Amino acid sequence: MKREIPLLISFIAGTLIVISLFVPHPPFNKMEETLNSWYIIVSGFTFILGIDSLLLYNWDKIRRKSKDWPFALTVILSFVVTLVWGIVSGVRTGHIFSTNSTFRNYFYLYIYVPLQATMFAILSFFIASAAYRAFRARSLNATLLLITASIIMLGRVPLGNAVLIPVLWIAVLLIAWVVLLEIKATTSASTRVGYILMLILMVVIAVPLTKFLYGNLSAATDWIMDIPQMAAKRGIMLGLALGGIAVSLRIILGIERSYMS
Amino acid sequence: MHLSTSIWVWVAAFFTLAIFSFLYKDNPFYKFAESVFVGSSAAFAFLNLWFFDVKPKLWDPIASGNILAVIVPLILSILMLTRFIPQIKWLSRWAIAFAVGMGAGLGIVGMLNGYLVPQLKGTFLPLWVSGDLATTVNNWFLVFGTVFTITYFYFSKPIKGKFGAAAKVGIVFIMVAFGASFGYTIMARVSLLIGRIYFLLHSWLGLI
Repeated sequence: MKREIPLLISFIAGTLIVISLFVPHPPFNKMEETLNSWYIIVSGFTFILGIDSLLLYNWDKIRRKSKDWPFALTVILSFVVTLVWGIVSGVRTGHIFSTNSTFRNYFYLYIYVPLQATMFAILSFFIASAAYRAFRARSLNATLLLITASIIMLGRVPLGNAVLIPVLWIAVLLIAWVVLLEIKATTSASTRVGYILMLILMVVIAVPLTKFLYGNLSAATDWIMDIPQMAAKRGIMLGLALGGIAVSLRIILGIERSYMS
Repeated sequence: MHLSTSIWVWVAAFFTLAIFSFLYKDNPFYKFAESVFVGSSAAFAFLNLWFFDVKPKLWDPIASGNILAVIVPLILSILMLTRFIPQIKWLSRWAIAFAVGMGAGLGIVGMLNGYLVPQLKGTFLPLWVSGDLATTVNNWFLVFGTVFTITYFYFSKPIKGKFGAAAKVGIVFIMVAFGASFGYTIMARVSLLIGRIYFLLHSWLGLI
């Protein structure tokens, strides 16, 4: 009973939701609405389990006086202060985001937003250092990544057009260098011919491409986003959808039971 | 220079600089700001959940005496909390099973409606558009780019020969897509950085 009932519950809940997709008429449409509302409530309570885990982990650090325990205390204190502040402010004004709520006007705008925005902002420095390591044009794929990222970044800023020509020519020289390395490394004659043809094609199109891009950088950025980027994204999304459906079916049919451990 | 006189602007500037200090090296100011961020984020997420979901959907009906309308989610929510009592901990599986089953059902619906059907629809494009070469070329890119990308992720067959060549073209498309996403991510992060620097120079120091 300890295993069968949960399996039955997950089967019924999942199946009803899927049926409501194919039969959007009473009683299934109403049932889907009700189940969704229940789901929001119940999954909200799973958050309590997560908070319990965070607090216990930090409490344990304080209890054992392990390294950096004062920061564990800071985590717990900031949790409690924020929670109490939010509840008091929410009860007084009706909602934490009311215009006269001190929680919104002070905590959210002057503590939470700066912390979150700065935390994400410093990532730009780490992305730059990661980019240096990942983008060192050691292979054709890495070079493609580098060029696309550069065009996208240049195409979205006013300065982009001004620095386009030198950037583009550096990119062309980089690709040519990588292709020459690949030609040298490959043993297959047909692959070598393919690379040589690619190199010739690239040199031939480099000049008109530069002329075209100059003044049309924004349009080129849009083209990359709408066509080749979209094509790859579609392939990935289709794979993701099929994988997601397969996993969901395994859960509904009770084949995947890891959530019961 | 007009330094801000608001204590809250100084608090925001302190947290901003404390996090920026990590660029030099890990230090107590950064650790303090990081801990405040972790603790307050958890509480903020909990408050959001309460005020936006649980209160209107569960608490308000109970408070207005309409408990029967929410009796099932109320019981399931209480069962979820039995995880804290070792003797009856197994009962929490019922609530977890409901959440997981619903998640799986919604997953199928979401994947079909949001990804599979619209993306397939968008890929069925004419490969010849009379009098419009640009659209024809773009459609070829879209259709074959999608097919080659899927080929790269097909692992039931060794990636070699003609199949391998298709997969190699797929990698080219994937690299372009990753490059574009990377470019966009950097732009988003840099715009946040500009926002924080503007806050320090404008709202706090009054230099600009």
